[in-house]
Amino acid sequence: MSAARALLQGLLDARLAARARGWLADAAAEVAGLAPGPAGRFPTLISLASRALPRGPLAPNADERGQAAAVLAGWNPERWSILDAGRAVLVLSRADLASEAGVAALEDCFRHADLGELVSLYRTLCLLPEPQRFAWRAGEGCRSSMRAVYEAAACDSPLPSRAFDDGAWRQLVIKAVFVGAPLWRVHGLDQRLDPELARMALDLVDERRAAGRRVQPELWLALGSHAGERGAAALERELAGDWAPGRAAAALGLARAGRLDPVRAALAREDDPLARAAMESALAGAHDQFSFAPLHGLE
Amino acid sequence: MRFFDPHIHMTSRTTDDLEAMARAGVRAIIEPAFWVGQPRTQAGSFVDYFASLVGWERFRAAQFGIAHYCAIGLNSKEANDERLAAEVLEIVPRFAFKEGVVAIGEIGYDEITPAEERAYVRQLELAREHEMVVMVHSPHRDKKRGIRRSIDVAREVGVPMQRLVIDHNNEETVQDVLEAGAWAAFTIYPHTKMGSERMVEIVRRHGPERLIVDSSADWGVSDPLSVPKTAQLMLERGIDPAWVERTTWQNALDAYAQSGQIDVEALTAAPRVDQRALYHDNSVLRGQAPRVDAAVPN
Repeated sequence: MSAARALLQGLLDARLAARARGWLADAAAEVAGLAPGPAGRFPTLISLASRALPRGPLAPNADERGQAAAVLAGWNPERWSILDAGRAVLVLSRADLASEAGVAALEDCFRHADLGELVSLYRTLCLLPEPQRFAWRAGEGCRSSMRAVYEAAACDSPLPSRAFDDGAWRQLVIKAVFVGAPLWRVHGLDQRLDPELARMALDLVDERRAAGRRVQPELWLALGSHAGERGAAALERELAGDWAPGRAAAALGLARAGRLDPVRAALAREDDPLARAAMESALAGAHDQFSFAPLHGLE
Repeated sequence: MRFFDPHIHMTSRTTDDLEAMARAGVRAIIEPAFWVGQPRTQAGSFVDYFASLVGWERFRAAQFGIAHYCAIGLNSKEANDERLAAEVLEIVPRFAFKEGVVAIGEIGYDEITPAEERAYVRQLELAREHEMVVMVHSPHRDKKRGIRRSIDVAREVGVPMQRLVIDHNNEETVQDVLEAGAWAAFTIYPHTKMGSERMVEIVRRHGPERLIVDSSADWGVSDPLSVPKTAQLMLERGIDPAWVERTTWQNALDAYAQSGQIDVEALTAAPRVDQRALYHDNSVLRGQAPRVDAAVPN
């Protein structure tokens, strides 16, 4: 049994009533006994889980989240539902996951999945053996404009930053701001920034400004240390703007690019609390991707 | 007033209809799987159709503040293409237990052929095994015999009568259905099936118990506002408002909530919409400003 499956099973045992626990145990045993490949009742059990397991968040506590990170660095089940965890246990109960037959069985399940099933399946991908085999499938999730699906594939999982090629990775980053997903929750973002991604982000900044629209604060995350002169100019313009979340993000962005002088100057005249907090944080060296969390969703 | 239209094929209706329905008070709908006006030629067409009923159509309705549930099944017309039917019957269990699927349906008889009966029985067995509600389409031709047979066969298979909804009834068939203990639904069509005036008299005569009004609006000449319009006529002609509420809201809710797939509390709370959301790469909007958290009149 994989360590992830054992951990999820433990979390569920503590949260499920006897009847739901019994259903899951029976279903997992049935899945474990299936012949390799797509045939059989596996997809039906994935659907039936929604009728047998309770709705509601898994809500792992800090200790449990720590255990998850110990099982797999970058995996964070904080936003999982109980149903996601139950479905993950079913997936991880398959005996054929290491083989091509297992890949085919999961792909068949993805192709017939509804929204909730897609979310559960995408969340499970990083826990599978040799998860890089599912890089294309995870990329499909990151091409979705359904925010729930995008987040399940892109956020709180080490898979994209490790397994995606450069093209898919950069699309994931830019897509986050299009669907309004929290880019700061994409694991490994800060470790995988490059000049081409910065160029794409700055083109988008220009597009938005040409259309008279605000720049989403998290878009500045994509520049990192690769802002260059063009990025620095765009950031300083944002820092001088009349929108406080934009000024906050620009301060963090300038600090990430190693340009602290304009941030110091801005702090001296800033009176918005959100922007001030971001500027102080930026000057204190706290400007990693997590520092953008308070700016998520501000438009 | 709020209304539940438990039989409407929204996939062939426009957003104008959804707006008008919400304005008229339609708060919840059920979209049963049916044929699409011409026979499909391959099983993959059913996969994508079923997927749209649990996916895009549900999302689209929600964008207008209407809760969308569906029924999954192989319809009687296409059951006669037996090679295709065998493939589709393998697919049905892959969609029938997804979230928001409140029944197996619409299934039953069209010409009352042996092939139709085989498909009907297979799906009744699936429903019995998983304690699903069954929505039965009754035939246009030889309706009375078709309805009696659909009830008898369901009983033989072991589907409890309180989980059986027989649709497209008329004055001649309602008594058989009510006596069997099943739910009797009526499709209000402007020209065929049943008109609102006749429906008023049926409710007056039989009372509200287990009677359900629906529109079955589809790609033909039909009216997605049949349920609210019939309710209005019932009120004008002196039917007790409590009876109107039973036949245009509560009975459908009671029948299909047996599936466990309707969050009754959420449904009775005031609906809100958020049109900013996207489904795949589609929005229902084409450039206009999204309505966000707007109250809707249903």
